[in-house]
Amino acid sequence: MSVLRMGYMHVRVTDMAEAKQHYGNTVGLYQTLEQDGKVYFKGWDEWDHHSVVLEEGGVGMVKCGFKVLDPGELDGIEARATRFGAVVERMSAGENAEVSDGIRVILPSTHVIEFYHSMTPVGLEVGTHNPDAFPRHLVGIGAPRLDHALIVAEDVGEIERFFKEVVDFYPTERLATSLDDDAHLIATWMTIGNTNHDIAILEGPNGKIHHFAFEMRGWDDILHAGDIFAMDDTPVDIGPTRHGITRGTTIYFFDPSGNRNETFAGGYQCFRDRPVVTWTPEAVGKGIFYHARELNERFMTVMT
Amino acid sequence: MPTVTVQPDGIEVPLEDGETILAGLFRNGYAYRIGCRRGGCAICKVDLLSGEVEYDHTVAENVLTAEERATGTCLSCRAVPVGDVTIALREEHLRRVSSLLAFYAMAAQGKGTPAASSAPNSG
Repeated sequence: MSVLRMGYMHVRVTDMAEAKQHYGNTVGLYQTLEQDGKVYFKGWDEWDHHSVVLEEGGVGMVKCGFKVLDPGELDGIEARATRFGAVVERMSAGENAEVSDGIRVILPSTHVIEFYHSMTPVGLEVGTHNPDAFPRHLVGIGAPRLDHALIVAEDVGEIERFFKEVVDFYPTERLATSLDDDAHLIATWMTIGNTNHDIAILEGPNGKIHHFAFEMRGWDDILHAGDIFAMDDTPVDIGPTRHGITRGTTIYFFDPSGNRNETFAGGYQCFRDRPVVTWTPEAVGKGIFYHARELNERFMTVMT
Repeated sequence: MPTVTVQPDGIEVPLEDGETILAGLFRNGYAYRIGCRRGGCAICKVDLLSGEVEYDHTVAENVLTAEERATGTCLSCRAVPVGDVTIALREEHLRRVSSLLAFYAMAAQGKGTPAASSAPNSG
């Protein structure tokens, strides 16, 4: 099985003009298309047409997409997702602008996720022939790429099982009520590659999203992002700080509609045979916010 | 300028014209449970007991339903009072987190110029 990564996140925004200002001028993504009431963006270190889709009206997640390497993978995903008991349908090329045909799955948590094999290539902003290290005139925080999302589900174990059985993701870290085999799973961080997470799942109301994250190049860029948020009056939830979970450095912040975003850098190299880290509730404060070591009142309750 | 009276403790706080309830309370040195501050997460909902509010941004129907609006639920991060209002926090009390901010906000409202000797020395 060969899912490559989370390729796009599609969210609703209440005011498109403000959202374009945020994702374009503050986050520093490049707008690649505006069509049928949707606006499409990509980061400078991404080569496919888009990684963020905004749609006006409401707030929260519409769906997200995962790219597979080979069209032949889709048959297997369709069969396994059906066997799992998810709602599965074929989607045709063009249902999503610039995106190939694929498989659409409605998870038991009601989240919609799509698997596709190709998207119109746009190219890296630095090109691929003798490239420079980064574009000279980055805007805002200059986010290079979409990294992961944390979605919210009533039954975390069930959604973890979906990503394991259907698309071969593996957990790198988990939050559980104890170390016992039958402990209740509160959250899980899962990857398909060697980063800490492509998707994470937190216990809570079905269909919600906690945040989606952009990968930054390091701690210096996280601090710089914090400065830009101050200049742009972007509401910051917490940070700059470090997560105990994943060891990543972070700022959580909100877009103008209240969708939570994250800048994330670091983490560590993950492998399938690496032992899974387990966090238990007495250390959850340190796990989420490593320096303050206590949860703020928003982390477990604020989502869209 | 409008005032907001916050139940259950009956604390009266002056607002600037055009200021949201959330912004005004924090400017005056108070705090309560809030989230995104941008109208998306719905955590800062309060009950509007009297008076009227307007919304300075579009508020999503899945955050604040028409029925909630009609029955007095108010999304405090986006709600701008039209005249004096009274709200009730839900299962919490307004917390005074900065006596310094409260002191200077009162002074700015013309309720006495603070003398240096009477200024609070900490929040």
